Amino acid sequence: MAGKGIGARLLRKEDDRHLHGRGRFVGDMAPSGMKEVAFVRSPVAHARIRRIVKPEGAEDRVFTLDDLTGVKLIRANSKLPTYKPSDYPVLATGKVRFVGEPIAMCVGDTRAEAEDLAQEVVVDFEDLPPVADMLKAREPGAALVHEQWGSNIALETWRDDDIDAVAAKAAFKVTQECRMARQAMVPMEGKGVLAEWDERQGQLIVHTSTQVPHLIRSGLAEHLGIEERQVRVIAPDVGGGFGFKCVLQPEEVAVCWLARKTRSPIRYLEDRREHLTAAANAREHHYTVTAYTDQRGKILAIDAVVHVDVGAYSVWPFTSCLEAAQAGGNLPGPYIIPTYRVHTYTMATNKPPLSPYRGVARPSVCFAMDLTIDAIARAVGREPYEVRLENLVPASAMPYTNITKKFFDSGDYPESLKRAAKLIGFEAIRERQKKPERDGRLIGVGFATYTEQTAHGTSVFSAWGIPLVPGYEQAMVRLMPDGGLEVRVGVQSHGQGMETTLAQIASEVLTIDPAHISVTHGDTGLTPFSTGTYASRSIVMAGGAVSRASKILVERIMRIGAHLMQVGQADVRVADGRVVGPKSSVDFREIGRVWYKNPEELPANVDLGGVEVTTGYRPNPDTGTFAYSSHAVVVALDPDTGVVELLDYVVVEDCGTMVNPMIVDGQTYGGVAQGIGTALYEEVPYDSEGQPLASTFLDYLLPGATDVPSIRIDHTVSPSPHTEFGIKGMGEGGAIAPPASIANAINDALRPLGAEVNRTPMTPKRVLAAILAAKARKSAA
Amino acid sequence: MKDVTITVNGETIKARVEPRLTLADFLRDQRRLTGTHLGCEQGACGTCTVLLSNEPVRSCLVFAVACDGQPVQSIEGFADDPVMSSLRIAFKEEHALQCGFCTPGMLVTARDIVLRSKDDDEKRVRTELAGNLCRCTGYMGIVSAVRRVIRERLARGPA
Amino acid sequence: MKPARFDYALASGIADAVALLDGAGGLGRVMAGGQSLIPMMNLRLAQPSLVVDVAGIREMRRAELSNGELYLGAGVTHAMIEDRKTPDATNGMLPFVASGIAYRGVRNRGTIGGSLAHADPAADWPTALLVLGASIDAVGPRGARTLSLEAFLVGAYTTALESNEVLTGVRVPRLSPKARWSYYKVVRKTGEFAHTIGAAVLDPERGVRRVVLGGTGRAPMLVEAAAQRLDRPLGVADAAAILDSAGFDPVERHLHATALSRAITRIHTP
Repeated sequence: MAGKGIGARLLRKEDDRHLHGRGRFVGDMAPSGMKEVAFVRSPVAHARIRRIVKPEGAEDRVFTLDDLTGVKLIRANSKLPTYKPSDYPVLATGKVRFVGEPIAMCVGDTRAEAEDLAQEVVVDFEDLPPVADMLKAREPGAALVHEQWGSNIALETWRDDDIDAVAAKAAFKVTQECRMARQAMVPMEGKGVLAEWDERQGQLIVHTSTQVPHLIRSGLAEHLGIEERQVRVIAPDVGGGFGFKCVLQPEEVAVCWLARKTRSPIRYLEDRREHLTAAANAREHHYTVTAYTDQRGKILAIDAVVHVDVGAYSVWPFTSCLEAAQAGGNLPGPYIIPTYRVHTYTMATNKPPLSPYRGVARPSVCFAMDLTIDAIARAVGREPYEVRLENLVPASAMPYTNITKKFFDSGDYPESLKRAAKLIGFEAIRERQKKPERDGRLIGVGFATYTEQTAHGTSVFSAWGIPLVPGYEQAMVRLMPDGGLEVRVGVQSHGQGMETTLAQIASEVLTIDPAHISVTHGDTGLTPFSTGTYASRSIVMAGGAVSRASKILVERIMRIGAHLMQVGQADVRVADGRVVGPKSSVDFREIGRVWYKNPEELPANVDLGGVEVTTGYRPNPDTGTFAYSSHAVVVALDPDTGVVELLDYVVVEDCGTMVNPMIVDGQTYGGVAQGIGTALYEEVPYDSEGQPLASTFLDYLLPGATDVPSIRIDHTVSPSPHTEFGIKGMGEGGAIAPPASIANAINDALRPLGAEVNRTPMTPKRVLAAILAAKARKSAA
Repeated sequence: MKDVTITVNGETIKARVEPRLTLADFLRDQRRLTGTHLGCEQGACGTCTVLLSNEPVRSCLVFAVACDGQPVQSIEGFADDPVMSSLRIAFKEEHALQCGFCTPGMLVTARDIVLRSKDDDEKRVRTELAGNLCRCTGYMGIVSAVRRVIRERLARGPA
Repeated sequence: MKPARFDYALASGIADAVALLDGAGGLGRVMAGGQSLIPMMNLRLAQPSLVVDVAGIREMRRAELSNGELYLGAGVTHAMIEDRKTPDATNGMLPFVASGIAYRGVRNRGTIGGSLAHADPAADWPTALLVLGASIDAVGPRGARTLSLEAFLVGAYTTALESNEVLTGVRVPRLSPKARWSYYKVVRKTGEFAHTIGAAVLDPERGVRRVVLGGTGRAPMLVEAAAQRLDRPLGVADAAAILDSAGFDPVERHLHATALSRAITRIHTP
């Protein structure tokens, strides 16, 4: 279809229902007889449960783990050798390990009544000393989150290149410490699950706000102890996921158990306090990076120690090992690192389990590595921009296999940085900085460059040995009797616009107008198996599968069309939804009519699969295709308040072939906004008792319209040689670089004062504290 | 329980409500008007914004019982509203929504901004939008769409 | 996140509201716009047995300007002040402050009286009205009384109001035409509660010079030493010296000193 296939700025098919308030989210569904639940949650971080007292007369409406017969502990395994799995109870038993951990499930006709009941449940605790900080968790004598481990280390990984030999000949040794705060993912819709038992099918029908319906089906079946065929998971409209909604929640299991037991619909809607304090925690990393460089700042070796605070339990199925495994593997980033030593410690603490959030470990490693680049530049007395350029993998080296065996398939990383510098007006900013600003603020400019492994598949995940490894992505395409097309995929779209972009890919091959293509997703009962939407994989994997299935279908359509026109198959092509022969053409509607209604007109050699194709797809190699980007930002910093304003933000982005440039830009804008949140605003701080200090949006600040500048995007296009149409994944990318680029810009602004910041969020108080500390150092000297 | 009479999207409703029922839950659970979403229940995210007596309010911070005798307009109720129609077109064309969860509240707020705006100044529009959170779009499309509808309306002259 | 059960009563007048409240034995709460109370109730941090709705009391929406002062009924909303639907006696200070409170959807419901009675230390009205030398009217079973803001604001979330008293209105002294004011607050994002607020009023004609520091986590405080120096700009270091004994940590002290310094400097730079 000319102008509506790959590359078209097609308006989204998803929009109209939302613009009229006709979206359908889990919370919008209320079958008759539905009950709602609320959870009694732990008010303390670490304690033994002595006793749980149910309110008198309400014993049959309050459930503890003892009541949940047949429900298994959630145990996410990994094959990494030092990994220690945790037994994550659906409802706490024996002891509680974080504030907000569910202890009992209460049922009411309304959520308010369920909360009334929850308020009446009495839990008797014996307090234990909390483990509130990942660094202290390693100290001798620290309390243990899981006594049977003997320590709080959930996973230890290392790689031991010979650093000492390099160190001896290095001109500079630069050490950069940095810390990324624990934050929450905050899709605007919280987690929601509605479970009901279908007597006729003998099946649990679970509407749940998830990115990975097929995985959740497996997770529910496994943990409820029932067969997979007895569970159908449907993700309706999902109000954002960002990684949080790709893990199995204990509440999800509890609600399903209750629906199966009581045979009545049960709904749980996570509220914002639950979301912030008990569920969607992410990001908390600490790095000490030592770089050894030559005179010019070219890196000779990196020596890093990484700590990740994964909270109390390992999430299913992605486990607590994902963060540190990625941190160790991705720290070298887009740079040439000839020698690399890294030691990672994954620490259990008395906080909610860490879940993978947009970019997973990559925003943290980009923060660590790109702050290190700027620190190197300061040490060797060069422009950070130039030092960064000098260390990037050059285009001439592509494809490039880096020190951790990441295979960079295509791209020109230095060009991306150069364009970003040009767009942001780097030289003009350096000029501007020579004179004081009229308002007394300090101007700074910062850069960050990353490369992002996207759509990595079997080989990568199987090396981690997690419970579910992605394989051949499947898609089904079906020509309808009237010439329209149904596309069915097992991934899930929750804002990415795949109802539109997958239709564009099918249209590209089949030439059917996307207006006549429906994309069905997110329903295990209707779609082929997929591990779902995460790791920036869906447009590559599901898009690739749709393309492959469409290519098979188009051959079958052409065979029928050629027969109807009585010409050879070699003499036909497709265009605008027609099979076109030398002298005549046949509309796909005719093909549909013949297959479904008038099979007597079919050729003898017709493919018996008909006009419906399900096929699988996996790129080769399946180690992921690497999208990349350079970000540049200009900040104005008020040295007396520490308030930072973003004056300009530039992204030069390369995700290979763009299916829909409007959607690519939209994903990038949104990702950058989240990265700005990480950089400047978002944190769930914990006190030394393990109490969360941010439980509403009054304490947990999300960037608003005033806090995100008008972002400018430029594209380069380096198609992947290994994927359908050269598409690369890009959903997460925007969120990766902003913490690093903004920190570098702040430190650039602070340079005249001799101050630096190195932990997120870079709040006014933290910036001001850095300034005052630098002043104190100066006056002491 | 209290008896109230509330006009919802032009239809006069007599209802019996618990005092603790918020306007948002009244619309969603009793009237099954689920276009109004709940994002924080603290008045901070703007997702639940509706018109109460023609002014945008956080429906999570209003008890239904306190709306007795007043008109309420939710996202389902702007069928013939020219500004809302323009906003819907602009939101789609400017890619001002992704997951769609914040969209209804965003539109109700945006309509109020358009009606009160005498120019399309970006900074002011952003300040006015600051009480409605969106986690997907980075506000780029939303700001463009609102400014565009302001410009269109000013160009047409007062209706 | 749903409120606990409570009884609701729509008060027909101030006397009715006082009687209802008095009958609740200390467990009643007055609700005007509900924008401070309902968030607490949704979290079940507030669980009143009775909510007395005063939004229907016309007297509490009254706003009038007399010779010496502006009277604002407690039920006047932030948006009414922002839109100048109420008279102004402060040379634009009240509308300026109103427009910076939270967001429009909140300002349409939230009231000046409700905000004062909630006494959030980071809120705008306590600081702004204290610097203006305002007072509040309250009515209880034993009658009416007027309290200066200094006497009314006892601490964070704490006022001198009795549990059976209703805050009915605010009295704001009229500024002279040449009087100057400034209001400088630091927020991390639009609509957020302030991390510091410096406010100043210089009205030589009436002999009024007041400086208030708000957003400190305690009740807003009059800073007498800064008021003495209101005639000329005050540097951050000098402002910090004034705050030396206030018990702030160095970062907080610097931030508050900046707010004071900027408030005072701005009063001199139109």
